[in-house]
Amino acid sequence: MLFTGFHMPNKKSKTKKLVVLALFLTLSACFATGCTSTDTGEIRDASGISTGRIGVMTGSIGEIYAEEKYPDATMQMYDSLMDSVLALSAGQVDYVITAYTNALTYKKSNGDLTYLPERLTDEETAIAIGKDNTRLLESINAVLTQFKEDGTLDDIITRWVKEDDSPYEQVDIPAVKGGEELKVAISTGREPMVFVQDNNYVGLDCELIERIAYELGMSVTYSDMSFSALIPALTSGRADCVISNMTATEERAKQVNFSHAYFSNPQVVMIRNPDYVSSKPWYESIKDSFIGNFITENRWILLAQGLLTTVIVSVLSATLGTVLGFGVCMLHMNKNSALSGIARVYIEIIRGIPVLVLLMLLFYVVLAGINIDPVLVAVITFSLNFSAYVSELMRTSIGSVDKGQVEAATATGFAKWQRFTLIVFPQAARIALPVFRGELISMVKMTSVVGYIAIMDLTKASDIIRARTFDAAFPLIVTAILYFIISTLLVSSLSRLEKNIDPKKRKREVKLDA
Amino acid sequence: MIEVKHLKKSFGDVQVLRDINAVIEKGDVISIIGPSGTGKSTFLRCLNMLETPSAGDIVFDGENLTAPDTDLNKMRQKMGMVFQSFNLYAHLMIIENIMLGPTKLLGLSRTQAYEEGLELLRMVGLSEKATAYPDELSGGQKQRAAIARTLAMHPEVVLFDEPTSALDPTMVSEVLSVMRKLAQDGMTMLVVTHEMKFAQDVSTRVFYMDEGIIYEEGSPAQVFENPQKEKTKEFIQRIRKFNYEIRSADFDIYEMNNGVENFCIRHAIPEKQVYSLLSALEELIAMMIVPQLPPDNIQIDLSIGYSELSSSVTIELCYAGNEYNPFDADDDDLALKILGRRVRLTEYRYDTQNQLSMELKNG
Repeated sequence: MLFTGFHMPNKKSKTKKLVVLALFLTLSACFATGCTSTDTGEIRDASGISTGRIGVMTGSIGEIYAEEKYPDATMQMYDSLMDSVLALSAGQVDYVITAYTNALTYKKSNGDLTYLPERLTDEETAIAIGKDNTRLLESINAVLTQFKEDGTLDDIITRWVKEDDSPYEQVDIPAVKGGEELKVAISTGREPMVFVQDNNYVGLDCELIERIAYELGMSVTYSDMSFSALIPALTSGRADCVISNMTATEERAKQVNFSHAYFSNPQVVMIRNPDYVSSKPWYESIKDSFIGNFITENRWILLAQGLLTTVIVSVLSATLGTVLGFGVCMLHMNKNSALSGIARVYIEIIRGIPVLVLLMLLFYVVLAGINIDPVLVAVITFSLNFSAYVSELMRTSIGSVDKGQVEAATATGFAKWQRFTLIVFPQAARIALPVFRGELISMVKMTSVVGYIAIMDLTKASDIIRARTFDAAFPLIVTAILYFIISTLLVSSLSRLEKNIDPKKRKREVKLDA
Repeated sequence: MIEVKHLKKSFGDVQVLRDINAVIEKGDVISIIGPSGTGKSTFLRCLNMLETPSAGDIVFDGENLTAPDTDLNKMRQKMGMVFQSFNLYAHLMIIENIMLGPTKLLGLSRTQAYEEGLELLRMVGLSEKATAYPDELSGGQKQRAAIARTLAMHPEVVLFDEPTSALDPTMVSEVLSVMRKLAQDGMTMLVVTHEMKFAQDVSTRVFYMDEGIIYEEGSPAQVFENPQKEKTKEFIQRIRKFNYEIRSADFDIYEMNNGVENFCIRHAIPEKQVYSLLSALEELIAMMIVPQLPPDNIQIDLSIGYSELSSSVTIELCYAGNEYNPFDADDDDLALKILGRRVRLTEYRYDTQNQLSMELKNG
């Protein structure tokens, strides 16, 4: 049975507006990707490099080289090679110094970039083997010499190191069944030397080590790790050898032995391609960007996982933070001055620490000894942070509810908890919700820093994709849109709640018994 | 039904209620009147323990409310309260305001509570406003809704705390008539009010509160028509006073006249009467009394009273010296002739000093 009074018209137009806005954002994103390169004068050779703007990766051979050779140049340091290449593409630097194979790959994936033919250095790539394993070193060196003589090595190199865009040739590499195990440590993501394609480890390095193993009657097992972990894996005995586009430097040679060089990978200079004209219409390049960033190798799965992590961290932190915030608020409003003092100190401390610092403090210091999922640490961090803001919000909202109504409820005979749940809370919630919404959105966006403690959230996932595709704009814009959608969904679910508690938006019907 | 014994209440150092004793019987309609700040509202709020008394007992239905183990919420359900500022629940529709107590506290089903609520709204004339929110109602409508909300709990007694004080004057009567009807139906009521007409017509008993106690109580006829105590009298007749002291023969008559004139303007006394009053005062004080007093000991206390109820002006003079009644002078005394046209002597007494009371004649 329902008693119905006036019906307020439902505002469906709001959702429509959001769809239009999202479309607009996508379109502008597409235009942005379509025309990222800005021309800053034509550079065809390295004649201006000694006073030019050079981009290098921090700690790379390119950095050391550029510092020595071009002291008058303007150096821009980037944390990753990808960022330096993106800066080149965007016209923020004019030269990037990097290894030949890197330049080759970037040129292939970004038609607007190219590299100069001059070799700046002579770096030799070799296989690293443990200091005490001289038997293996000798065997590998013997096979390498043999491969160089019979042309096998040249075959392998031409198969993988290609200037054109044609796909890599598929060859069957003979393998020994059940032979002695050769534990090979690699660090993937180094096309064309060692990378993942269709869930297999492939590349020049892989083909070479597999063929060597065959000659030695051994079978290869790979373990993929970060580049900095390769040499420790060798010295600790967890791997027999390392093959990963590794330059045989003197420093490394102190810890490991290097085989004969099998490939020469000099530093070269990358520039913007002066002859580059985008032949494709803008919608084609968008299509290519989309396919490259999301469809190829199912990269969207990465993004989906990141999205899920962001949603999990956000929703759990919002829920726990609100509950915790309520508790802190109750403590703060307690008549006992010691308890309310504790709450006040808690709020001041949490609000005074940047959330990223709090996150790292918890992860690296407070919870360092405990084997705990980083996602849980993120949830704890953001719950703590959110609770401090929410508790203050609740306190002011509760304080602003008319005392007379509470008095009327008291006089009617309502117990204290009934006064709170029936009279104070619904009205305080209505006052708090608009601000709460804002806090929630800002918390969701703040979770983008969880990458600092090795969580793959949405931001981190887009970073990974950017590192593979060397496309800055498209993944970033899609990430921005995804954040926008998360916020919008959260806000609209809150708005629905608001509709239920805002007398002016609620339907005027009295709920009666069935 | 309610017995109040030696109730005391202090806020910090200020003692608002000094010693309140009262017995309230079933069916009583008690109006609590008195000047502002004499603890009328505090008394009412102590009855349902919205204010905790500093001392004393309140026994309601045989239970002492001030005892620590009393289930106050249970007792409050039987004791409704209507507030000056209505205090309707802003987030609930009017009908929901009414249904909240019965469903959550009395265990009524929502349908039952809804039907009873509508019935109550009809009684206070607001059935059309069932689905309105409080802020969509006028002050008078809000207060009637608040009364309906209180009645929905079937209280044994209803406390009204200045129910019409926050209302626009045009809306006072709609609330009073609902209360009048309630009184006729036999509801036990305690009403703190400034509506003297209502107190006089509707109540069975009147408490006049002053100085932190029930200063005088009785039937409306006793309190309104024949108040026994001076303060009650002044309050009932709504007497406003102006006092002036004369301590020298060369007193500043212009200052005195100015004070009298301002007092008259404030209470809207007609100009003709003001002139009459001033001329009488000048005649009396300057021409008649001052020359009779020893020049080194002039002490005259002037007090002018104005009753808002009867709009009469009284003059009281108190002066030292030998016995002297200005009205005893010869009939052909010029000053007396002038004076006689302006005022009428009501009383002359002499104990240690002269006391002269007069009333200003109209026109």
